[in-house]
Amino acid sequence: MSSNIERCYQCGQCTAACPMAEQEQAYKIRRFLQMEKLGLKSEEPMDIPFIFYCTTCYKCQDNCPQGVKIVDGLLSIREAAVRDGNILPAHRKIGQMLMDSGHAVPGNEDGKKRRLQLGLDEMPPTVASSEKQLNDIKILLNLSGFDQIVAEEKA
Amino acid sequence: MRELSLFLGCVAPNRYPGIEVAAKKIFSTLGVDLADLDGASCCPAPGVFRSLDKLTWLTLASRNITLSEKKSDDILTICNGCFSTLKDANDMLKEDPALKKDVNSKLAEIGHEFRGTQDVRHVVEYLYQEIGVDKVREAVTKPLNLRVAVHYGCHLIQPLKDSKLGLAGKPTFFDELVEATGATSVDYEDKMSCCGAGGGARTAILDATLKIANKKLEHMTEAGADCIVDACPFCHLQFDVGQAEINQKFAKNYNLPVLHYTQLLGLAMGFSPEELGIAMNTVDTSRFIEKVKMDISENEVCTIV
Ligand code: SF4
Ligand code: SF4
Repeated sequence: MSSNIERCYQCGQCTAACPMAEQEQAYKIRRFLQMEKLGLKSEEPMDIPFIFYCTTCYKCQDNCPQGVKIVDGLLSIREAAVRDGNILPAHRKIGQMLMDSGHAVPGNEDGKKRRLQLGLDEMPPTVASSEKQLNDIKILLNLSGFDQIVAEEKA
Repeated sequence: MRELSLFLGCVAPNRYPGIEVAAKKIFSTLGVDLADLDGASCCPAPGVFRSLDKLTWLTLASRNITLSEKKSDDILTICNGCFSTLKDANDMLKEDPALKKDVNSKLAEIGHEFRGTQDVRHVVEYLYQEIGVDKVREAVTKPLNLRVAVHYGCHLIQPLKDSKLGLAGKPTFFDELVEATGATSVDYEDKMSCCGAGGGARTAILDATLKIANKKLEHMTEAGADCIVDACPFCHLQFDVGQAEINQKFAKNYNLPVLHYTQLLGLAMGFSPEELGIAMNTVDTSRFIEKVKMDISENEVCTIV
């Protein structure tokens, strides 16, 4: 699926609408699209944390006069960065949580207590309650190579 | 009685189980049974996991969808992120036979097959389109006298231009559902903007996302809201846990209770704040709960007279 970023004519409407750019001046979605369009790999390591600043709110996309699928574009830029080993430590960690528990936000003691107080089972009727289903998740994550993506860097 | 499969996601069952309970209570009051989708996993989250590896994201999402296909119920999500992931994955796989084949070759290893027979719905969208505002209003027994700051959340409505909700310009469907409870939906600056949490941003760059949430909290407070009402447990967490973080980090003094729409409607249907888990927030809800209880008892006196 193409993200049609070649239609971008660098008008800057996307950055003007972006809530993250408003808070963090160094975050410029337009710049990432331009780099990608020109087929440039970022020479500047500063792009690496910044491409992960996007909240995927789609404000840019709704403001783009050219109908560029900006968020799809950004997501593939991120995917390529991750494939090159540029994954943020926090994302590696929640990837590992997904591997271990099937949830990005697994249960904790507070959550269990709240569930019991409300008359629910301590663990939700999700993968958290089934070894078999959790094992299925692990099989799928290994098949798609996700275990490698979020594995600790070798020293 | 109609039946839907309730997709819980991660944040609701593990942090705010009151939302899970509230969803079941309001739907059973409306004559729809919500069945558990046993063994469901993280949707997985649309921004972060989709950008780490799209095929992994799609494979896990399709497994979640096949759990409901086996039961032949449509999926109901109570989270914008889950809605975005499951709906997008469902659409992609229905439209792209090659992709479907690829995903199915993986699912075959665990004895599942994506067929593409189900629809993915979001609680607010479902209430609006299938139940209807009038029916919701008729089910209200304790009209609420509250000023509500409605937060739609990006993944319910964005991208507006592509949204299947038929949205052009400013959506009002969520406000209409809020007002069906008797509450007033207050207007505030930047109402349609983001809470800041999505896309893996809260996880990786917390402070930047809190600056975004802070701006919304400021505008909601200026508008004199009694509470925030959202439709997404992750926006909920950003406004609730994030509010405490903002108070601490940026020396602010916000005290805005956060409710999921299912909890607001639950109150208006006569369920108690305790049953709906409203006190289980990080931000203190005791004053809010007192106000709701007082208003409700006054309203009751009025109806008797
Ligand atoms: S708004 Fe659209 S055309 Fe303008 S710079 Fe952004 S992506 Fe390019
Ligand atoms: S989707 Fe990302 S780039 Fe676009 S406006 Fe939102 S935060 Fe900015």
